[in-house]
Amino acid sequence: MTVSKLFSLALKKTFIYLFLLAFGFTTFFPFLWMVMTSFKSRGAVFTIPPTWIPDKLFKPGMWDNYIAVLTKYNFIRYTWNSVFVSTMAAIGQLITCSLAGFAFARMEFRGKNFIFAALLSTMMIPTEVSIIPEFLMMVKIHWVNTYLPLIVPSFMVGSFGTFMLREFFASIPKDLEDAAIIDGASIFRIYWNIFLPLSMPAMTTLFVIAFINNWNALLRPVLYISTASMRTLPLGLTTFKGAYEAHWHLLLTGSVISILPLVLIYFAAQRFIIEGITTTGLK
Amino acid sequence: MHYRKIMPYLFISPMVVGLIVFRFGPIAASFLASFTRWSVYAPPQWIGLDNYREMFSSSEFWTVLTNTLIFVAAYVPGVVILALVMALLVNQKLRGITLFRGLYFMPYITSMVAIAMVWNWIFSTRFGLVNYALKTLFNVNSPPAWLADRPYTLFVLILVSIWKTAGFQMLIFLAGLQDIPRELYEAARVDGANDRQIFFKITLPLLSPVTFFVTINSIINAFRTFEVTYAMTQDKPSYAPTLAYHIYRNAFIFFRMGYASALAYILLLFVGFVTFINFLLKRRWVFYRA
Repeated sequence: MTVSKLFSLALKKTFIYLFLLAFGFTTFFPFLWMVMTSFKSRGAVFTIPPTWIPDKLFKPGMWDNYIAVLTKYNFIRYTWNSVFVSTMAAIGQLITCSLAGFAFARMEFRGKNFIFAALLSTMMIPTEVSIIPEFLMMVKIHWVNTYLPLIVPSFMVGSFGTFMLREFFASIPKDLEDAAIIDGASIFRIYWNIFLPLSMPAMTTLFVIAFINNWNALLRPVLYISTASMRTLPLGLTTFKGAYEAHWHLLLTGSVISILPLVLIYFAAQRFIIEGITTTGLK
Repeated sequence: MHYRKIMPYLFISPMVVGLIVFRFGPIAASFLASFTRWSVYAPPQWIGLDNYREMFSSSEFWTVLTNTLIFVAAYVPGVVILALVMALLVNQKLRGITLFRGLYFMPYITSMVAIAMVWNWIFSTRFGLVNYALKTLFNVNSPPAWLADRPYTLFVLILVSIWKTAGFQMLIFLAGLQDIPRELYEAARVDGANDRQIFFKITLPLLSPVTFFVTINSIINAFRTFEVTYAMTQDKPSYAPTLAYHIYRNAFIFFRMGYASALAYILLLFVGFVTFINFLLKRRWVFYRA
């Protein structure tokens, strides 16, 4: 390569890095501020000019906010609630969507295309349209103030999940299935012993996506949970905002706590997620 | 067939039951409810089209509708373009690129409540970073009260929504970008195409199905914005409610289930209409590989 070509290539790369960093900064900055503020005492949160270095960092009492939020404000309990609800809902998604996805990918039955189209169409319907009757139904069957309305709707409805798993199942070679049939396996065993294990990346992705969506969900917890001890994390965060004052430092500490599990899960599963979205066949 | 005829139906039964109970059933019920006056404590009373009449003559409704349409019109192009740019950036084979991918995805996985707090501070009238910068760097004497005046509030909500969801759409674009065969780029370079030509004549057209998907997705999500409004402006007098939030407020704060159902149906009609238009236009600009 000529010198000028090398130079323009280096220039291009620098430009790209600059942009990456610029976007990265915009993305990252609010989080950085969140973490910094979680180490500030109450009075130091809002100052003019805004201070950057927290006053409690590396001094005795550094973890005060965290301890207060976790114990006095019950965040350990809330975290556990969220873990429970999100895990159950995500597992439910796996069951429902893998069963349905397998049926659409590998079985023939009357009305298959119609049902699949109906499934896709529900993706476009905003939850708000169905939430009112759903709420009233929950009241009628006394499911209000339990975890059931948080878990079951997610459990059973999964257009995106079914779609994704169907694409994945469809790409598994038929020979495996044929071999199993020759060996006399029932269709359920084929599903259970062959397709499920082979689709671990896609299943993991679906689990993570469902988990994240449920973890951050606000609408259903707001509607259905009234007992304080049953609150999920997002709901718990809203308690820091009273009508007249807000304990910002605690609130942001709580926010950091509520993000950590997700960040960990995301980075652990990052490879799978990108792979999962790639194989969804958006064509 | 190596399975009994009933097996497929068994397999899809959890999903179908779920759909009926939680989607189609409620939608039908909502439709009926929109013709009633119904607070939760009293049985519903049939009032025909009154809810719709009230809606169309209420100035609050039109304000909310305008807000929603402005929101959608600003949010969708914003997020689609930003996500595309981010995907292009992140598609390079550079060192540490996976770190950036994860970083850009982080706002999406963060709880709306947490994000609302942070952005509330950034845009806070007296203590916020934005106004502080405006005052000191640009010498603006009375910077706007971002979260108290209507046009500004809407702007903030749009901005925060774009910031939060761009990362997710970026991943979808990324998947689409990686799907384009390398040979096409190489062939183009051999023919002497420059970067801009490659982008507009190869990348964009081949990316169009993905762009379509992202656009539709974003439109639907934009109409459904509830959490941003709830988390950021809830306890302030309602400056910039969008339709989804308006539905929530009427149903669960004012307990006007009938009216709220009517509102929800209007929402559904809008989403359906816009989606329909998009599918019509699809033929014009979406290009599928043979």
